[in-house]
Amino acid sequence: MSEINSTETSASSRRSSRASSNSRRKPKKNQIPLGIGIFLFIALFGIYLSTKSNLLAFFWVTGNAFGFILQKSRFCFTASMRDPLLTGSTSLTRAVMVALAITTLGFTAIKYGAHINGLPIPGQGYIVPISFATIFGGIIFGIGMVIAGGCASGTLMRVGEGFQMQVLSLAFFVIGSLVGAHNFDWWHKMFISKGQSVFLPDIFGWAGAVVVQLLIIASVYILADKWENKKTNEAN
Amino acid sequence: MKEVVLDCLGEACPIPLVKAENAIKDLSAGDVLIVQIDHSCAMKNVPEWARKEGHNVEIEEVDDGEWEVIIEKA
Repeated sequence: MSEINSTETSASSRRSSRASSNSRRKPKKNQIPLGIGIFLFIALFGIYLSTKSNLLAFFWVTGNAFGFILQKSRFCFTASMRDPLLTGSTSLTRAVMVALAITTLGFTAIKYGAHINGLPIPGQGYIVPISFATIFGGIIFGIGMVIAGGCASGTLMRVGEGFQMQVLSLAFFVIGSLVGAHNFDWWHKMFISKGQSVFLPDIFGWAGAVVVQLLIIASVYILADKWENKKTNEAN
Repeated sequence: MKEVVLDCLGEACPIPLVKAENAIKDLSAGDVLIVQIDHSCAMKNVPEWARKEGHNVEIEEVDDGEWEVIIEKA
């Protein structure tokens, strides 16, 4: 009997003992009624918003859907940039590349649709010049998000989950945004206004722009996959 | 056969992973490392890393938003 026990000091027996100790924990509260309540609130508030403005209701629905998907999928832009160097895992990097490829097609469809119908192309105001400010901002944001454990959307999502440390991140995220907005004129005068703004379809044509962008995304995807294999082989 | 509990409650994303990487170096095959986490991102990357290294991994949600990642070193 003791022999059997000693040979079986594996994780399985330990796990069963752990499982029994877990059942003695206080039972989890059933969250389903609360979930249904919140879902009803979201739906009703959406209907209320649609009486005020269709656009507001649209933002409400897309915002909630985005947050839900972000939380459930554990999608993390920070990890997509950090994990390749930290652990060699690139699954999230590749997920971001897939997301970028899909948005490339979607945005091109929207913009080209407006273009061939002679309508003003939506979202052209967001095409801003590339300059030193882009690099500088990217580095500052990158350092910040790795220390804070989440990018902008990730921080918001985890505040919603109730992770207290990131309430602190959110406070400084707001402060940082205010500082950035306050200094934006200086950056604009010194760097941004001197840069050149690029709209790919102007250079490559509509089809060319899609092809070029998808090729770049595909090569990043393939490089990420190769990088992961290399890192895994090094570790073993 | 050791069982080590690593308390990472309240620690944000890369920290539980880095701590687990360091902790498992001191263990020998068959030892069990239990990483306690409450950061949803670590819930994904700690098991992913451990499985890639070839360890046996189990995840238990011990409370709402609180998990134990049980890693048996291979």
